[in-house]
Amino acid sequence: MKIFTPRSAPYFFIAPALILLFLFSLLPIVIALVISFTDMDLAGLADYSNIRFVGLDNYADILRDASFVKAIGNTLFYVVFGVPFVILFSLSVALLIHFGKSRVFEIFRAAFYMPSVTNVVAVAVVWSYLYNPSLGLFNTMLNAVGLPDVRWLQDPVIAKISLIILALWRAIGLNMLIFLAAIKGIPKSYYEAAQLDGAGSWKQIRYITVPLLRFAIFFVTVTTLIGWLQFFEEPFVMTDGGPLEGTMSVALFVYKNGFQFSEFGYAAAGSFILFFAIIVLTLLQFKLRRHED
Amino acid sequence: MLALILILAGCGGSKNESGNGGGNGGASSGDSPSSGGKVKISVWAMGDEAKSLPTIAEAFMKENPNIEIDVQALPWSNAHDKLLTAVASKSGPDVIQMGTTWMAEFVNAGALKDLTPYIGEYPEFAPDQFYEGAVGTTKFGDKIYGIPWYTETRFLYYRSDLLAEAGYPEAPKTWDELRDAAKKLADRGEGKYGLSIDMNEQSLTFMFARQNGSALLGEDGKPLFNQPEFREAVEFLKGFFEDGSAPLDLGLDTVQAFAGEGIVPMFISGPWMINAIQSQAPDLEGKWAVSPLPAKKNNMSVLGGSNLTVFEYSKHPEEALAFIRYMSKKETQMKWNELTKSLPANIAAWEEVPALHEDPKYQAIREQLEHSEHLPMLVQWEKIAQTYLDSFERIVRANADIQAELDAFNAEAERILGE
Repeated sequence: MKIFTPRSAPYFFIAPALILLFLFSLLPIVIALVISFTDMDLAGLADYSNIRFVGLDNYADILRDASFVKAIGNTLFYVVFGVPFVILFSLSVALLIHFGKSRVFEIFRAAFYMPSVTNVVAVAVVWSYLYNPSLGLFNTMLNAVGLPDVRWLQDPVIAKISLIILALWRAIGLNMLIFLAAIKGIPKSYYEAAQLDGAGSWKQIRYITVPLLRFAIFFVTVTTLIGWLQFFEEPFVMTDGGPLEGTMSVALFVYKNGFQFSEFGYAAAGSFILFFAIIVLTLLQFKLRRHED
Repeated sequence: MLALILILAGCGGSKNESGNGGGNGGASSGDSPSSGGKVKISVWAMGDEAKSLPTIAEAFMKENPNIEIDVQALPWSNAHDKLLTAVASKSGPDVIQMGTTWMAEFVNAGALKDLTPYIGEYPEFAPDQFYEGAVGTTKFGDKIYGIPWYTETRFLYYRSDLLAEAGYPEAPKTWDELRDAAKKLADRGEGKYGLSIDMNEQSLTFMFARQNGSALLGEDGKPLFNQPEFREAVEFLKGFFEDGSAPLDLGLDTVQAFAGEGIVPMFISGPWMINAIQSQAPDLEGKWAVSPLPAKKNNMSVLGGSNLTVFEYSKHPEEALAFIRYMSKKETQMKWNELTKSLPANIAAWEEVPALHEDPKYQAIREQLEHSEHLPMLVQWEKIAQTYLDSFERIVRANADIQAELDAFNAEAERILGE
């Protein structure tokens, strides 16, 4: 019997992708879900007979955990302020670079993209110096024009904003490229028609470019929102969640409980709450978009 | 989500590795020492010192041609993760350097081999040749899970020139003197401080509380963190911040702040800072010294360091023990001190290394070593200490009421201990 029939061939082609997806995404998610109902810790890891099922205890405990609640608040802060700014800035930069006539803008494109390809640890070292309370460039510059020091990473609220600035700086590059590609895809004839009707460049952007970028904006919003809900690297390398847990995000909370305190069950419960929050918010966005259309 | 993936990757990865490990084990079980083949054992060592370990391993292999040592140096920062993976997959190293603070966790997980039967068998393992405190970090119940390798304690570093100017030709000897010296040094002017208090240092308050007579945990194992002895220690430390004797958020590296004009001329740390000061601020030589900690009821410091342990799932425990025996010998311990400046756990080695009994710095450290005790060896200690740091931060930064904060911390510690 022949195995490669025209009917079965497609399955062979998609099999590698499906197997990888199953092994490294779906299966681990199921395992983590099971772990979240247990009290698994290091002893449980060494000997599975030490693991007890605790039902929904982890979920009940974590929702009562003041640190976790604080982490949720912080994460919402990051999302609410971070996501709109990422879209606004990367779209503006993309428009400026696209409509800029000078060759200099080519260099800007590379310059804005650079942070996205720089290792986060290197970024953290440089930015810790920029934010340094005694030697930092930012405070030195503020002092030079007669302004007082800012407690960049020492005040719970300002520290959140400082991390958002850093994350913004890192995020603009990639999203700018997506917007640039989308802008290049808009046919020239639309602009020509608008010019014939006497529309200035602002009106062209307002009524042609931005509306036609709707899908790109939607895509960037979805991916950015997911990314910011998982806000992790910036507080991990810069503040470790401090001061006063002011920069602790949900993802960092999960990491600390899982890998610092070896409370895998508890951490898995936290990660599932985050997982569902992301799914719900993403579905909501899709729903809103369909509504719009 | 990233963290979720990390956890998942950890589980997925460990499954694969255990498969491999089993395969390897099957393959390598053939070359037992009796068959005359070479046995390869893998040693996991941590930190900067680990880079010097191959030198010692070479010497060991010359004496024991049938054993091959493979040293893997892990940075402390990801050693814990690597160990978790090893425990989950039940394969990996044979000999593990185990930081004393991690002993409880890994003993509890059954990851370390019980060495009790070997203690009497080999003279190199005799407990009486090591510092008592160091031996204490290897004992759980009546069993012994490790052999002390090197030891550490916390003591006071100070700028002798600046303290002399402030009226302290010798280091402060009591809490009151420390307080007073710090204040005088801070009064030198704007942007000058007295003593550095690291807000992220887990052991600091517990150490001061012990000096004030706190037992930390009662006879029944219940925490005593809201008792007067503990509270006074917290108040004492907070006082440094209140009157500007200790900097909050200075953003300077310890050595940076210590050198030059001495922005922060006193700090409490371990022996590793000696090397750091000598290499980063060589011109400071002669202007700084170390001394045992100032005393309240006592001047008990915190003992740390590392033990050598055998991984429970090691295929070659005999060879692993041979290597640890070699490491515990006086001569090896002396050589190790020469290579890395870490403090030998072997008491006899102290007598024979000239630097250790001639240099006044090491004399001070030795005096402190004799007044040092490890923190409670509990699985939950890491979590308790971390919880405390959050409370301490609220006390210092947010001016939370000390007694209320400590009552809450004590209740939380009780809950953690009950888990």
